[in-house]
Amino acid sequence: MKRILISALALTAATAASAQEIPELQSNSDWFKAGETTIQELIAREQNTGRAKNVILMIADGNGVGTNYATRLYVGQQMGKLGEEHVLPYETSDFHSALVKTYNINAQTPDSAPTAGAMNTGVKQRFNLINLGGDAIHDDCSTVAGNELTTFAELVAAEGKSVGIVSSARLTHATPAAVYSKTANRNWEDALPEGCTAQKDIAAQMIDAMTSGMLDIALGGGARYFVPKGTATPNGGTGHRADGADLLAVAAEAGIQYASNKEEFDALEMSAPILGLWTDSHTSYEADRPDSEPSLTDMTRTAIEFLSQNEDGFYLEIEAGRVDHANHAGNFARTAADGMIWAEAVALADEMTNDEDTLIVVTADHEHAIAFNGYCGRGTPIQGLCYGIAKTGEIHSDELNLADDGQPYSVISYANGSGSILREDMNYAGVRPAVTQEEAMDLDYLQQALVPMSSETHSGEDVAVYAKGPWAHLFDGTIEQNVIFHVMNHAVNAE
Amino acid sequence: MFTRRTFLSAALSAPLIARPALAAQEVIKLRHLYDRKALSDLARASEGKRIAVDGYMAPPLKAESNFFVLTRRPMSVCPFCETEADWPNDILAVYTKRTVDVVPYNVKIVTSGVLELGAYRDPETGFLSMVRLADASYD
Repeated sequence: MKRILISALALTAATAASAQEIPELQSNSDWFKAGETTIQELIAREQNTGRAKNVILMIADGNGVGTNYATRLYVGQQMGKLGEEHVLPYETSDFHSALVKTYNINAQTPDSAPTAGAMNTGVKQRFNLINLGGDAIHDDCSTVAGNELTTFAELVAAEGKSVGIVSSARLTHATPAAVYSKTANRNWEDALPEGCTAQKDIAAQMIDAMTSGMLDIALGGGARYFVPKGTATPNGGTGHRADGADLLAVAAEAGIQYASNKEEFDALEMSAPILGLWTDSHTSYEADRPDSEPSLTDMTRTAIEFLSQNEDGFYLEIEAGRVDHANHAGNFARTAADGMIWAEAVALADEMTNDEDTLIVVTADHEHAIAFNGYCGRGTPIQGLCYGIAKTGEIHSDELNLADDGQPYSVISYANGSGSILREDMNYAGVRPAVTQEEAMDLDYLQQALVPMSSETHSGEDVAVYAKGPWAHLFDGTIEQNVIFHVMNHAVNAE
Repeated sequence: MFTRRTFLSAALSAPLIARPALAAQEVIKLRHLYDRKALSDLARASEGKRIAVDGYMAPPLKAESNFFVLTRRPMSVCPFCETEADWPNDILAVYTKRTVDVVPYNVKIVTSGVLELGAYRDPETGFLSMVRLADASYD
């Protein structure tokens, strides 16, 4: 009897629920329809459990969830949209995604060397070291021997794949170096402490990787670390190597093609390994890039064309290195311009490859101390001052929001950095200076910061990872950064 | 015609009477002296003229000096970007009338001086400049 009663109650409840209808103003809303479309897209997703012939690991340095959010709005606004609704190429439902914990073995706030190392070896590493095990000590050459890790590039090269690196930073800088080097100090780019014989400097390791056949194409900046001190570099500066080694000559003798500018880059043959260095240090910020330097998309296109010639496949790491540097400078306009071409490079890499056999992983190594202020209206320029919210329509009001000090504020601020409003000459007291929207929108504007530091810092906040292709669906939930290697390694070895 | 109204607005727009050279000039941005990595038409046209430029005082290379470097953005030193101090391409060497009273590297200043073009190596610091302001003052 009791059982019948419960069933009857359940039936009544179900009937009541089904009698509820969604009103037309809701079901006919664009938001509602778009939500339904998204569900259909997610249901239609297929899991690709094939073997990955190619892997492209794309890292926008310093592009954590916050920076990526700001870049999304910036890119949308450059296209004439309000910005918030924009979808970056890797934010579609074609991509699986997860959140990534980026800390290092001994650092809550990570740096780019061990983070890139974790993605390239499958194990977390120590602050400022690259591809050495957890017992190695920063700046201690004696701890190198026996602690060297095997990289993803070495593993796949042994299986016959080609390997490439592209970066807008120096090719000896942390993120690209994590593909080919093992070092107790990320700054040993062209020199070692006296008596250190357990490893070579990073530039020498890169040339070794190229001459041994492990690394087939390397495009980016940083020529001075390959040229002897006092000798002219192909880019018009002078070399930096105190040991006098001419690594560009070593590369040339090994039959590696060299390009130092866009013209030479465009004339490269696809038949021999390629080294391209456009600048003596990092390449220019995208906002400042002269025509003589290939862009991140130019480099991406050539690297994929070159590597695709190998029937056994390839591993390519592409870094947008200067997103990080502009954040360090507290200068969001440049962060955004580098982020914008980064998004274009992702779209290009996707377009040039086949989802069936290419795993594309899009991520960042760490976030920055970037923050977002106020209750700003839709379409407020993300690098500029915060406008109020309009009562009707979508777009912001024309009134700037004011803080308690009566001054407007930018949407973005940095928790620390050289944009600090605290003044050294005033015993680190400070008053927020008056800023106009025109000043805040200037390319050189530094968003206001609080804690005074010469260089704005990273933060340990999560980054996202987005992926498509074989085994991309393994990216889910919240993962440790070293898991990225394991997805790539599983994908290339899947039966 | 000199009316009270024009006098007032002139006084309001030039509150720093002590620095008429600055107030009388339009302040240009340092980047407008350059076109990518080359000198701009504005720089070439302004050679030998007194101009006012805004920017930031890089930490001086030498104490008690009449020389500093003006940068577009605060000359921050990023330990993860650079292993050594690199000067940006678009800077302005400034030779001042008086000994430099150091302003923090992240406080915007306006510098007025006579624009000089061409290579010059500072005898004290060895700093090589291609673009300079001479006989300069700053605010």
